[in-house]
Amino acid sequence: MTKQIELIGIQKHYGGFHALKDIDLTIPQGQFVALVGPSGCGKSTLLRSIAGLERITSGEMRIAGVDVRDLPPRKRDLAMVFQSYALYPHMSVRDNLTYALRLKGVSKAERAKAADKVAGIIGLENLLDRKPRELSGGQRQRVAMGRAIIREPKAFLFDEPLSNLDAALRVRMRKEVRGLHERIGATSVYVTHDQIEAMTMADHVVVLQAGRIEQQGPPMELYDKPANRFVAGFIGSPAMNFVDGVVGEDGRSVTLSMPGTPVVRVATQTAPGRAVTVGLRPEHLIVGPPDADGAIQARIGAVEPTGSTTYLFTEGAPELLITTEGTARHRAGDAIGLTIAPQRVHLFDPQRGSALAP
Amino acid sequence: MRRVLQSMRDGIGFDTMLVILTLSYLLVFAGLPLIYNVVISFQTVDVFSLGTLMHPSAGVENYVDIFEDRQAETVLRNTIIFTLGSVALQFTLGFALALFFHQNFTGATWIRGLFLAGWVMPGLVVGVLWNWLLSGDFGVVNYVLDGLGLIDEPVFWRSNPETSLYSVLIANVWYGTPFNMILLAVGLSQIPEDLYEAAELDGANAFQRFWTITLPMMRATIGAVIALGTIFTLQQFDLFAAITQGGPAGSSTVAQYWSWELSFREFDFGRGAVISVLMIIVVLIVSLIYVRSTKAETQL
Ligand SMILES: Nc1ncnc2c1ncn2[C@@H]1O[C@H](COP(=O)(O)OP(=O)(O)OP(=O)(O)O)[C@@H](O)[C@H]1O
Ligand SMILES: [Mg+2]
Repeated sequence: MTKQIELIGIQKHYGGFHALKDIDLTIPQGQFVALVGPSGCGKSTLLRSIAGLERITSGEMRIAGVDVRDLPPRKRDLAMVFQSYALYPHMSVRDNLTYALRLKGVSKAERAKAADKVAGIIGLENLLDRKPRELSGGQRQRVAMGRAIIREPKAFLFDEPLSNLDAALRVRMRKEVRGLHERIGATSVYVTHDQIEAMTMADHVVVLQAGRIEQQGPPMELYDKPANRFVAGFIGSPAMNFVDGVVGEDGRSVTLSMPGTPVVRVATQTAPGRAVTVGLRPEHLIVGPPDADGAIQARIGAVEPTGSTTYLFTEGAPELLITTEGTARHRAGDAIGLTIAPQRVHLFDPQRGSALAP
Repeated sequence: MRRVLQSMRDGIGFDTMLVILTLSYLLVFAGLPLIYNVVISFQTVDVFSLGTLMHPSAGVENYVDIFEDRQAETVLRNTIIFTLGSVALQFTLGFALALFFHQNFTGATWIRGLFLAGWVMPGLVVGVLWNWLLSGDFGVVNYVLDGLGLIDEPVFWRSNPETSLYSVLIANVWYGTPFNMILLAVGLSQIPEDLYEAAELDGANAFQRFWTITLPMMRATIGAVIALGTIFTLQQFDLFAAITQGGPAGSSTVAQYWSWELSFREFDFGRGAVISVLMIIVVLIVSLIYVRSTKAETQL
């Protein structure tokens, strides 16, 4: 596969503020990449740097093999969907869609044909003559998408395009955006702070924190093998439980520092006596009877049913969150025993946060 | 009584009172003089009959007189040149400056603020200032033009009938440009930055962005600025009084100055009023255009 976007050692400074630190990212032609991370981590900055709206301080940047560092945005041939949509308020939907074509000098008849075609794809046939202010939020979002796909650019850049939509529409649009991507086969870079959006839509997820790439890879790899505590806590919903612990004599079990000092077996061989942070995903903890062999003894503090899933919170510190399928048979105050498969226990270095390799 | 007070406080009584107050103010201080001005334009009014409310009717005689006056053609031409020239130059310069300061370089806000200093000066002061600048023998303007090699001998701006009108025009452009700049700067700052970014990604160069985003988005502001500029220029009196007094030999007389001359120099208030009425009609038309342009919707 050809490399469509290549970033090597990108640095970006805003005055004294180091916004992007040593970003290496290669995106093959046709891939859907999600940039995800907490607010202020530099997702938009990275996307805007690719677009050319921000100037990078140093590093190499190539799009379709061409060095674009000194190219202005209009010469990079990228399409961007803004969080605000940035539709031209004084133009009709049709003119919004075909603005780029008009600049290129495409004839009016051909522009109209292109607009009709794109309107068909995104389902806006009846709205072509409206002004943006006469559209609902979801319709504006579609126009913004249409404006991007009409051009057949080298890549699509999305900056949280769904964050202004209500929850139900967001779920639907997630599928539609992904569907469009597959249909057009273009390269897409998609910024979101919502890890579920990233996991469900992307082929390749890049987790950013404080301007640095913490980990990148296919969604399930990030879920199964988080490189560090930050990624482990960020990917997966609800978030992973973290408990301090000490590795036992055999190097294959960990004593948790919580009431009753339970011992869990782990698949990772580590130095005996070493202090670790243990990561337990809520969905991997299995609730059983309190007297079960080798189980973590706990008492339920709170129960939160959601219908399909039930959240159980244990009493005492550290509090553990467990998710169980369906409606719970448990009540607050019940004594339970928690077990977990050894290969599902994650271990992290308590100081550096890096994962201890299995 | 209590009910009246109560409705004043929380009913529509208070709103109604505010509307009535405003309307009566407008009627007394703007409406009546306007109507009286129209009435006078159809009457014979001189110094001796000025004190009475009603005067002998003159029919349309005043109007005929004005149009047949041998000064009429010059005044009309001067007024058109002065108004169109001032508005066009003020607008162009104001827009250029607004765009320049919109680049947000260090100190932009500061320097922009300084420009306003010129605008807050009284017209007479500005007039005197330009008298010096334009003076034939020791004026700065001549000095600069001479230094640039554009003129060989001093131009007597104010006393030359060829240039007298333009000396006031230049002063008026200087006077009105900051106002244009500020209004246009406000309009510019209201265009969201992301529109420009979207346009840039769509392939628009700087000129295309200006032409397809800035200008159409500024339609309402531009309409307002041009309408207000026209009205202010038609009101400009101080600069004429300070710089040329309409001379030499009427070569720089414009409608508003002529109206004043007729009324307060020749004490022919009827004919003075005729010009006012004609100017009111022009201002009304301009205002209509202004109102229509502010209705142009560019909001999202
Ligand atoms: N023009 C600027 N000048 C200085 N600092 C900036 C500028 N733009 C962004 N930053 C800083 O850079 C960091 C990254 O900003 P960025 O907008 O990329 O965050 P983000 O990951 O997109 O966050 P969000 O999810 O809230 O949109 C932030 O700390 C922000 O304060
Ligand atoms: Mg952002």
